[in-house]
Amino acid sequence: MTFDPNSPETAAPAQAVARDGPNVQAFIAHHRAAFILAAVLVAQLLLLSLQITRNHDVRLIRVWAVAAVDPFQRSLRGITEVSVGAWRTYRGLLHAQQENQELRIQLASAQSQLQQLSEQAAESGRLRTMLEFKNQLPFQTVAAEVIASSPGENSNAIFIDKGLDAGLASDLAVITPEGIIGKTIAVFSRSAQVLLLTDPSSGVGVMLEKTRVQGVLKGDRQSLCLIRYIMNDVPISPGEAVLSSGLDQIFPKGLRVGTVVEASVGNIYKNVEVKPAADLSRLETVLVVLKPNSNEQQASNTRP
Amino acid sequence: MPVAPEREVEVFRIRYLTLVVSGLAALLLQTVLPVVIPIAGLMDFPLVITVYFTLIRQNKIFGIALGTGLGLMQDALSHGYLGLFGMSKAVVGYLAAAAAMRFNFETLFARCVVTGALVIIHDLCMAGLQHALLDSPPPFLPLERASAVLFNVALALILFPLLDRFR
Repeated sequence: MTFDPNSPETAAPAQAVARDGPNVQAFIAHHRAAFILAAVLVAQLLLLSLQITRNHDVRLIRVWAVAAVDPFQRSLRGITEVSVGAWRTYRGLLHAQQENQELRIQLASAQSQLQQLSEQAAESGRLRTMLEFKNQLPFQTVAAEVIASSPGENSNAIFIDKGLDAGLASDLAVITPEGIIGKTIAVFSRSAQVLLLTDPSSGVGVMLEKTRVQGVLKGDRQSLCLIRYIMNDVPISPGEAVLSSGLDQIFPKGLRVGTVVEASVGNIYKNVEVKPAADLSRLETVLVVLKPNSNEQQASNTRP
Repeated sequence: MPVAPEREVEVFRIRYLTLVVSGLAALLLQTVLPVVIPIAGLMDFPLVITVYFTLIRQNKIFGIALGTGLGLMQDALSHGYLGLFGMSKAVVGYLAAAAAMRFNFETLFARCVVTGALVIIHDLCMAGLQHALLDSPPPFLPLERASAVLFNVALALILFPLLDRFR
């Protein structure tokens, strides 16, 4: 009863199998009894499943059928849910990406608008302060915008957008609401160069607010200035305000210049360091104080 | 039990009348005898008949058919589910034929040994099916099953020489 592929009985089927390709038929013929046993067992198992009941008279074949199908149903449902979830996530991501791009554009636009508004608000406040300051001053002034700074490390100067056309001349005081910043040294038709307090060649007649002692403020190339010609015996305390004395014939008397930072005893005169009241590194709008004759000349020029 | 894979297979023809009468007698004894002698319930007449004729015929399909037929009839005569004995005896018939094709069971001792082994396999199949399929399977009693093996081997010792006279 053993299978012999070389025997005459199996020669013909073997040739047929060879024609068919895979040796499936020979395998089935060899294990025919095992297949029959399996079929008989399965048939009787089904017969048993039709008789046996479980869980409230549910037939075993139904239990098996459900048990056999349930994993596939769960898998199919899981695959479906995962697929639908993945598709929804993908669409959501696409939508989120588009929305993100739109929001980024809107945010950039809003930030730009906010920056512009903030700039305008700051400028408006600055101009309002400048206008109020200008109205309080007892002398004629011309408002000007800082348009450039002078090149060179040793030069502490700036350029403003007003010049001869606006009635400016040399040696005019340039101030801000915080304090004086320098004087005009070169005037062109539509611009002027302003020498700042911190330039070593600058000199401003100043006086201390409390003691009314006078001196000359000189630049130090740094952010600080020095007051010269104040005797050692003059009491000066840090924090004391420094005002313009008006003796230089350029800066009107009483304008704020700065604050004493440190005062030490020197050989003859005290070494007094002053921090300018105005922030010279952030100048935008300034006022140029016109001299009385300049004012009259401008007035005559504007009259028809 | 010598191994003889290349031996000449000696296949005996079975008189179908003998087979039918033996089968029916086995079923009849299986149902009647335990009523008279309770300990006879440990013996499985259809199983011994299946083993004997399959060893003689040395055909797996014959063994499957005989085991399934006797087993299903045994199921039908009992109050159990149809298929429990059928499946177990189908397996026994297949294994008996496979063993007969591979080994020489001409001696009575060899037949008794294989009968004992097949009774154990039959019991294991029954217990496995009952535990797998039934909500409340009967308890597995090893001592009782061991006794059943001995009784069935003893039954084979009596029946096999008797049946040999009819082949």
